[in-house]
Amino acid sequence: MYIEKIVLKNYRNIDNTYLNLNSNLNFFIGNNGQGKTNLLEAVYLMATTESHRTNKDSELIQWNKDRALVQLKIIKTNFDLKISYRIENRNKLIKINNNPLEKMSDLIGNLNVILFSPEDLKIIKGGPSNRRKFLDLEISQVNSYYYHLMKEYEHILKQKNKLLKKMYYKEKKDLDLLEVWNDKLADKGASIIFKRLKVLKKLKILARLAQRKLTSGNENLNIEYDCNLKIEEKHKKEEIKNIFLRKLKEKQKEELERGYTLSGPHRDDLKLKINGMNVRKFGSQGQQRTVALGLKLAELELMKSESGEYPVLLLDDVFSELDKKRRNTLLSIIDDKIQTLITTTDTEDITKLLKKKNSSNSCLFKVKDGIITKACC
Amino acid sequence: MKYYPGPVGKLIGELSKLPGIGQKTARRLSFYILRRSRAEVKVLAEAIIGARENTKYCSICNNLTEKDPCEYCRSEERDQKTICVVESPKDVIAMEKTGEFNGLYHVLHGAISPMDGIGPDDIKIKGLLKRLEDDVKEVIVATDPNAEGDATAMYIAKLLKPLDMKVTRIAHGLPVGGDLEFADEITLSKALEGRRIIKY
Repeated sequence: MYIEKIVLKNYRNIDNTYLNLNSNLNFFIGNNGQGKTNLLEAVYLMATTESHRTNKDSELIQWNKDRALVQLKIIKTNFDLKISYRIENRNKLIKINNNPLEKMSDLIGNLNVILFSPEDLKIIKGGPSNRRKFLDLEISQVNSYYYHLMKEYEHILKQKNKLLKKMYYKEKKDLDLLEVWNDKLADKGASIIFKRLKVLKKLKILARLAQRKLTSGNENLNIEYDCNLKIEEKHKKEEIKNIFLRKLKEKQKEELERGYTLSGPHRDDLKLKINGMNVRKFGSQGQQRTVALGLKLAELELMKSESGEYPVLLLDDVFSELDKKRRNTLLSIIDDKIQTLITTTDTEDITKLLKKKNSSNSCLFKVKDGIITKACC
Repeated sequence: MKYYPGPVGKLIGELSKLPGIGQKTARRLSFYILRRSRAEVKVLAEAIIGARENTKYCSICNNLTEKDPCEYCRSEERDQKTICVVESPKDVIAMEKTGEFNGLYHVLHGAISPMDGIGPDDIKIKGLLKRLEDDVKEVIVATDPNAEGDATAMYIAKLLKPLDMKVTRIAHGLPVGGDLEFADEITLSKALEGRRIIKY
């Protein structure tokens, strides 16, 4: 799939913009603070209903204006569609082909994007919640039931934790009631772990391949699901639930003392290893960045295999940070099959690169003070 | 005029306390009431007071009723051996509309939700247990199909286990008369979970 047209009105610092994009490479060049990332953010918003930088919709509207609008025309293999996204005060209205959506979550799955930004280094360096979020977002984009499952699990977890806190102060504890919430938690939790393992099985192989490509076969990446319930791929959903329930029972006394739930998929992690070494602890900055890129490329291939089409790739300020070899590997993977939107501050390198490449499959845009103009195609 | 005169302001204030009614709607309703004749307004006011004063909760099933016990609990034609447990009196009406159920009811007035501070003792579960001392064969739990309703259903089932009684949960899934392709993934997954063997 690719984006043919973008219309932006009063979005952040961008006034009124109509852009025809190239179906392959699109470079957005400009100094810092001119609005390059705002454009990528708008595209990301159309895929996930949420910005990756803020959860306040009002921040997306330009100063002194009362509404913002983003419209995209997307071309898929068999059909094309128009998405329009309007933000007004506290409301937002999303339309697909002029039909308003009832639920925001119905938007997910129409446009698939993968965003790679400097912040993604957090997936490698940061705490476990960053890696869970990476995996969960990935699964949600290809399976909307998973998104619902996550929300339900979080809701039940909140209820149960509240109950634990209340029981702390009570002398006579209603353990039957706790058991009821445990059962519900284990039921949803088992479905989540089961789905995560299933998707990870594919992602693992794809990430290993990507890493070998990026390092000319020098580095072997291994991803493990670090599960506090010690669940493995061979387990069936029903077995996972029983293991989860047993663990909850085992830890019940401790949970009652501490007032929150101590085991479950909300405490799991991914272990990333290169040639047997933990990347998070011992990897160099460059290695960590390569692994982050490798994971994103694996995500790209996974989405293609699940939805039948390549998603749109958004590279925010990361292109210039890669060395020449990795940059070329990346371009060869993008080839002419993946639409990519790249932001960068660096003009020289890009013009050199474009001269080498066939110019019909790339476009150059200049971004200055919120105004985006096509420089050459 | 910056403020509404005292009595009108008071009316608007009281109306806006009702669920689903904000300042604007409260103002609109108030002005509608002010334009009506004195007699009409009196009928409305009396209806409100009458409804509040002449209804009470049935001492057996906790349903809203004029006379205690309520019409369902009094009726001798209804199946005394089946009790349907629901969250609110509105659910009783919904069940009655089906015409398919001829047993007795038990209204819980809520569902277990720790976040809202509602525990088993805050809803009418104790009364239900007492009713089961008589000869009851089946308890149908018809609480809402969400996390709280499901938890309440499971809790009741747990309490009734030692009594060795048939406890059932109403099915959830596809709407009747609809197309499979239009069902959302969540409903369809639930329907798949609750599938059953076709008997012929």
